[in-house]
Amino acid sequence: MIEITSSFVDSLASNTTAIKNAQGLVKKRSFVQLHQSEDGTLLFAECKGSGSSNYQCSADFIQPDKPILRCSCPSRQLPCKHALGILYAYIGGETFTTTAVPDDIAAKREKAEKREEKKLQQTSEGAEPKPKKVNKTALKKKVQSQLEGLDVLEKLLQSLVRNGLGTIDKKVIKTMQEHVKQMGNYYLTGAQTELRRLTLLLSEADDREQVYTDVVEQLAVMHAFIKKGRAYLTSKLADPTLALDHESTIEEWLGHAWQLTDLKEYGLMKEQVELVQLAFVSYDDSARQEYVDEGYWLERDSGEIHRTILYRPYKAAKLMREEDSLFDAVRVPSLYQYPGDMNRRVRFEEMVVRPLDSHEVVDISKYAQRSYTDVIKKVKNQLKNPLSHANPLVLLHVAEVLQSNQDEVVIADETGQHLVLRDQVSDGHRTLPMLTQLSASQLEDVSMLVRFEHDMDTGRLTAMPLTILKDADMLRLLY
Amino acid sequence: MSTALLQELHQELRRIYIAGSDLALGDYRLKRMLPQFQQLGERAPIFKRLGEGIAALIEPADMENNQSAEQLQDLNLLLTSVLRTQGTTAPQGDLRPLENRPVSLSTFLSYRKLAAVEEALTTTGSNRYEVVVHAFEEGMFRDLRLLALAVRALGDPYSEIAEFAMQKILPSYGAKVVPHLIDSFDPMGGRVESRKLQVIRQAGGEDVLELIFQAAESGSEEVRVTAIRLLAAHASYESALLSWTKDKKKSIRVAAYHALAVINSEAAVERIYEAFAGKDIEIAAEAAAKCSSEQLTASLVRGLGVELKHALEYKEDKKKAEASQIKISHFLTALEGKRSDALYEIFAGVIRQYSLYISSVGLDLMDAAAHYFEHEDSLEALEALHVLEQHNTRYLSHAFRASFRQLSPSVLYEHYVQSVRNKWKMKTNKETQKKLKQLLSIIEQQVIAYPYQSYPNLWSSPEETTYLRKVELMPAEQVAQQWDSRWLDWLVEVHATHLVCVFARPDHTESQSFLVERMQDMAELRHQSIEILLLGLERADVDAPLLLELLMKVLEHKWSSNLYVFEGHLLEYLYQLPFTYQDRLADMIQKYRYTAREQLQYVWNEMEKKKQEAFVVDSV
Repeated sequence: MIEITSSFVDSLASNTTAIKNAQGLVKKRSFVQLHQSEDGTLLFAECKGSGSSNYQCSADFIQPDKPILRCSCPSRQLPCKHALGILYAYIGGETFTTTAVPDDIAAKREKAEKREEKKLQQTSEGAEPKPKKVNKTALKKKVQSQLEGLDVLEKLLQSLVRNGLGTIDKKVIKTMQEHVKQMGNYYLTGAQTELRRLTLLLSEADDREQVYTDVVEQLAVMHAFIKKGRAYLTSKLADPTLALDHESTIEEWLGHAWQLTDLKEYGLMKEQVELVQLAFVSYDDSARQEYVDEGYWLERDSGEIHRTILYRPYKAAKLMREEDSLFDAVRVPSLYQYPGDMNRRVRFEEMVVRPLDSHEVVDISKYAQRSYTDVIKKVKNQLKNPLSHANPLVLLHVAEVLQSNQDEVVIADETGQHLVLRDQVSDGHRTLPMLTQLSASQLEDVSMLVRFEHDMDTGRLTAMPLTILKDADMLRLLY
Repeated sequence: MSTALLQELHQELRRIYIAGSDLALGDYRLKRMLPQFQQLGERAPIFKRLGEGIAALIEPADMENNQSAEQLQDLNLLLTSVLRTQGTTAPQGDLRPLENRPVSLSTFLSYRKLAAVEEALTTTGSNRYEVVVHAFEEGMFRDLRLLALAVRALGDPYSEIAEFAMQKILPSYGAKVVPHLIDSFDPMGGRVESRKLQVIRQAGGEDVLELIFQAAESGSEEVRVTAIRLLAAHASYESALLSWTKDKKKSIRVAAYHALAVINSEAAVERIYEAFAGKDIEIAAEAAAKCSSEQLTASLVRGLGVELKHALEYKEDKKKAEASQIKISHFLTALEGKRSDALYEIFAGVIRQYSLYISSVGLDLMDAAAHYFEHEDSLEALEALHVLEQHNTRYLSHAFRASFRQLSPSVLYEHYVQSVRNKWKMKTNKETQKKLKQLLSIIEQQVIAYPYQSYPNLWSSPEETTYLRKVELMPAEQVAQQWDSRWLDWLVEVHATHLVCVFARPDHTESQSFLVERMQDMAELRHQSIEILLLGLERADVDAPLLLELLMKVLEHKWSSNLYVFEGHLLEYLYQLPFTYQDRLADMIQKYRYTAREQLQYVWNEMEKKKQEAFVVDSV
């Protein structure tokens, strides 16, 4: 007997439409035959589809908590609605006749088994995965191309600056858009994104006056990126090993996508890490042409706040599973960390989920930073570098929440140091108005996860409240 | 650290970026700032570097190879880094504890669930209403993050969502939501603010009355109307309401009068009656109609009497007569549904002098009198109605209904048929025919109804149902009880087919043959007539096979196939057709279209099934 719940099946689906479609198939009685293997580990069926013949689909529970879903339909979605439908049919109590495992599935199982054996063999023998042979000539060529690309980019920016932002018309925007495409040819996907960001700022604004400050800031960021990138790439050419820089973020700026094996090699992997998600947000990054799912996590042993980031390119978005808020406690067998400073990006392949205990929530507050002076100093130190993440996250202790007669909302630490709170309107979310809807106890002696931002126009450093923790309660103002 | 100076430099660089870096050459403002940087640079290296950058920009060393863009970028980068370390975090102004108005909500929904509802409430498109209602039913609005959107929903462009928010979502938060609504309440607003006010009143209890009063005093017109309406039940605002009946705007006056009608105090009633003397008589009349005060009724009746006298006096003067008539109609509106002895007397007088009042005032008055008398349970009133029906067949219905209620079946028959039997036989007299038709239709109204009933769509999707009409006849026992048995003969005589169906009895052979003839004569399928006929034939106890044969003949008729859908008893008869008719049915199906065809097909299929089953049973 396979033990599965409907929420388990829901979690296997990429999105809610897949769930609806799968359940619809069961209702419409599209499953012609439903079978299960004698030992009960395999469910398989024939399903009516839009094609001329029926689709063969199956759910293999050889590993009970990670079923393998297979189907002969042409849909690229994984898992497809037919395979999911079998599971819903199973939960719904439909009759499954016991039959022998069909040959093709038996063959696939064998193959999968062999792969697993091989993997186990390798790790048990302590065999190092074969070192990747780096094609040095190709890499050198790539770096040279990147340098060239940076020159091209710099020329473009300088011409914009010399002529003046006020002269940027449709023609200039078009030139910029062409350059965006070109950056891809120079292996500079990072530059591509940043140039696209600049172009969108200018082309999408109804009133250019409002965006000039942001444009000037973006130009500073791109200038820093070109300078640092050039220096780094030049030194890389001189380096015989052509090693990756795993200490700064320059690789990612240039467009490199870190492989987990690389990160492990550079010692950027931790084992058995316990995490709790404090906040979640999802947004559309039109400069990257991707949807981004960001989670903000607290590492329970160190109090560090990490970010998980899932990029879903527009074109592949339908096929990828969207992430969501997670209210449980998580244990990660292998946590990989990307280069960075505060709130480094982390990634993990597997996690073990269990309900969050209330005393664990209470425990989090011990990491709340109590001196705003110290925090602000650290934040400013990060912001000093234009290539650092511009919105650091910190868990602060809040003694009380105040308001000024200028209608500002302010938090204070125990010593009376103040910090002004403000919403960061760039992603459209506003959490500040919710503060007046909280009770008095939720506004004094609490821990608050905030996100900082420096406004170049006003010269003010403010913070946006994301989550409030009081005793065993977590109040997510964002998501 | 002179942050102000740095910010100023930032503004200047921004200006130069917009204008173009070449224009930095010799820029007057940068030149003016430079000495300050150089001075500060003596102690702080960063200012020194910035000063050098500014200098390189305004007075480049190499005039020919001017790298103004690079200089500007370098300077900007440096300045940006510095400024980012100089952000001020201190608040402006005096501080006091945050004024909070707790709503006792938690946060438990995941992003995906929230995002779906947020999208429904912030965009336009289809299906949003269902999403919102479903979310409310699932209790999703107990999440803190949806509260602001729920308030915002009051202004949703799709009014059903706005109404739902006003009636269901916001009240579910209880009194705690009121301070937040008050915060964003703008008395000068429009419909959204009116809705907000309604929720405030509903959730807010007595404390918010003062706010509502303020809104009623000084808000926008729409808000004032709503606010006044909300104050209706509160006698303490009576004096304000009284003064608002004199407001410039009509809608305000309307609201005020209606509110006074609810309050029903002496002063309120007086004010309403006072208005009958002036321009607002129309408004006052509608308000008065809602007011149950006996004092008011008495005044109104007196007023009516006076106006009627005037109407008679002004017979010659067209203008004055018209004015009087209008006034009278308003009085009648105000007296709608009210009863008093004095009013009875007035109406009695009106009926007695029929022609006089018809010519001086008109039908409206007479109608009101008839209507009043119809509901009066006295023989005296009944007699007056009988007089009235003689004057005008218009009053036949009032008189008949009153007669039906008060007279015994035999007396009723005698009055309407027996005593004037010969008159009804005068087929050529138009007046008489008109009266006859009217009488028959009035009787039909008493005994035949056409309610809707839900039927499962057996012919297409059985889980879905449709509402179809089904004729309902007064039950035969009730007919026997309430109606004299002689009606049937007369009804056959005057060829009142529908009524014969209702009154038909198994022992009455004439009605049997009459109905069979009618069925045979049916040239095309008139749905309701056929249904009534079928029921009538049943009542007359006509043989089932004969009935079915008659029905089939009608269905097969050329023009019957225009029918859209089979309803009620006709549909039920089809379900029960024996399968001997299967072949004829098959032929018929081809001629029909639309849902009717689907239904016939279903019937045929069922017949086929039954045939198979019978076949199986037989062969065993």
